[in-house]
Amino acid sequence: MSVFCYKDTRVLCQGITGTQATFHIRRSLDYGTQVVAGVTPGKGGETHLGLPVFNTVKEAKTETGANSSVMYVPAKAVKSAVREAVEAELDLAVCIADSVPIKDMLEIKEILKGSKTKLIGPNTPGIITPGEARLGIFPENIHTAGKVGIISRSSTLTYEAVLETARAGQGQSTVIGLGDDMIIGMDFVTALEAFHKDAKTKAIVLIGQSGGTFEEVAARYYKDLKKKKPVIGFVAGNAIPFGHKMGYAGDIITNGHVTAQDKKDAFEDAGIITVDKINDIHRKLAEILK
Amino acid sequence: MNIHEYQAKQILNRYGINIPKGGIAYTPNEAKRVAAQSSFRGPWMLKAQIQSGARNKGYFLEKKAGNKGGIRQVKSQRDILNQVEQMLGSTLVTMQTGPEGKLVSRLYVEAFTKVERVFYAGLAIDRVNAALTLLVAVLNGADISEIALSEPERILKLRLDLDGDTTPEQVDEVMRFLKLKPKSAKSLEVFINGLHRAFVDNDATMIEVNPAGVMKNGDIIALDAKFSFDDNALFRHQDILRLQDDYEKSERELQAAKYKFTYSEFDGSVGCIVNGDGIALAAMDLLRNHGVGTACFLNVKGGVDKDKISSGIKIIMTNPQVEGILINILGGFLRCNLIADGIISAASEVGLNVPLVVRFEGTNKDEAREILEKSKLPIILAETMEDAVNKLVEAMEESD
Repeated sequence: MSVFCYKDTRVLCQGITGTQATFHIRRSLDYGTQVVAGVTPGKGGETHLGLPVFNTVKEAKTETGANSSVMYVPAKAVKSAVREAVEAELDLAVCIADSVPIKDMLEIKEILKGSKTKLIGPNTPGIITPGEARLGIFPENIHTAGKVGIISRSSTLTYEAVLETARAGQGQSTVIGLGDDMIIGMDFVTALEAFHKDAKTKAIVLIGQSGGTFEEVAARYYKDLKKKKPVIGFVAGNAIPFGHKMGYAGDIITNGHVTAQDKKDAFEDAGIITVDKINDIHRKLAEILK
Repeated sequence: MNIHEYQAKQILNRYGINIPKGGIAYTPNEAKRVAAQSSFRGPWMLKAQIQSGARNKGYFLEKKAGNKGGIRQVKSQRDILNQVEQMLGSTLVTMQTGPEGKLVSRLYVEAFTKVERVFYAGLAIDRVNAALTLLVAVLNGADISEIALSEPERILKLRLDLDGDTTPEQVDEVMRFLKLKPKSAKSLEVFINGLHRAFVDNDATMIEVNPAGVMKNGDIIALDAKFSFDDNALFRHQDILRLQDDYEKSERELQAAKYKFTYSEFDGSVGCIVNGDGIALAAMDLLRNHGVGTACFLNVKGGVDKDKISSGIKIIMTNPQVEGILINILGGFLRCNLIADGIISAASEVGLNVPLVVRFEGTNKDEAREILEKSKLPIILAETMEDAVNKLVEAMEESD
């Protein structure tokens, strides 16, 4: 099965007429992703990349049966784009843009509350189920279908993790980039939960980094799970000194637990197989999946 | 983006928060004049305006600045002149500035304000809960950073709404937590709501009043203030953008900002060029395992312009602290061959005098490797991140 996106996922693209969107939607189409519509306000009725363009997400959904969105809209437009996706009751919205204002993200989190839409990102490479669907900007040629689920906050480390699965002779069920921003849509817990329900996924790689307590929350969730799939964890950022930035308020919220080591400790305590180097992942994977 | 204490206080004051009387001074005579305007007979506070915490615990690099820190209390007009001469033009080092410190070019001169007690107040974003959070703590002489680590239960955390004011119940809770007398109620409400509105209106990421004081009449006053803003929201705050102090940044940081690259400096010897913060963090960790520190890292993100990339690489190549360069690129939207072209053009302009290890993966990786090999530059190619770090450390040891 995989998680969140599949070969029958019907994808619409918000901001389809932009340069980045054009480049990546073409690649996603070539990959076999069922992109069925584009949305660019004011360009409804046009055709782009052979796809019908609509003014609103709602129209695109009604006309084409799209159930997911990948958005390449600029940072300033993200809030209204997500609101539209939520109001159209899409299952999934993937937001690639970086530099989204934090206040906008706080408002977006309120908009998402109680809705059926799951937001991935912003500042993410997106989500890819190898051989089925690509929503985002992944270098698709490094992926192969398989049984390892990958969840990562950092884009580039997502790719590293994918390369590690290849070195272990394995492929990926689904790869999810949660996004590198201060506030993100989907968190580790939602992704972990989905991978645990997915029969195809036999092992999970979890890539965290210093800042925030997303990893600690994930560790607590995993620790309490009755039936656990093996999880390999890596956390980047041990070399960043404490208090590198001005003021303490951000660190106080996390009770000073901000270092990569704190997160590794939480992982280990929860029974997650923790590696010190990202290039150690393939060895652990080979052991687990032999 | 950060601003200075005096600028932060002026903003808070616009939101009704009390601040001590004072003003900014660039010369000893100005300091004297501001002091006379602020208080008839003193004492006064002289506060070095650099963007750092823990200024009072800091020290000056220059002998002429004496042994005292960056925040000084003075009792006479004559002493103002002496102390101001010591501090202005001197370099203040704190636990947040790094060993090179920051040049003090202006002082904030304030009337010393007598308070009965002090407390900590901060506003920041709780990332996991995506919530604006008020933080309050009784200090009792301890440092807030120590309290956060050892006794987090001494810190009250309240979630605030993005819209609207802090609720009366929340203000009451802070009253009880700080054990304030009823006469402080009105002023505390103004203080908290002022912080709250100032944060939301200006797209702040952090406000810290450390400490706030309670005066004899019960009024709350901000004795210090720190303000950080969301860089991604500055486009809607031209007034805040004008407060930016370029002297707080190094020439290289300004260059990088011009091209919209992320650039951070540390005190090690390796310059890293990457296209993601996560990979920078992981590379720094690997270097540290070898006992090698990072001098700086430059994140070129999804950059697609060859000239911009070349300029970015030059920033690293011309950093005198850099004794070795690690370039680790995972091409997606960013094509590796662009980076290869950028490396060659930067090296031909400024020369390549230190070991350089390059690892490419992803879009156009083979083409990029070929470009570097053909260039005949002494560039070492690597397969994985770990391989790249090992090769660089080895090359740096050999060139010693």
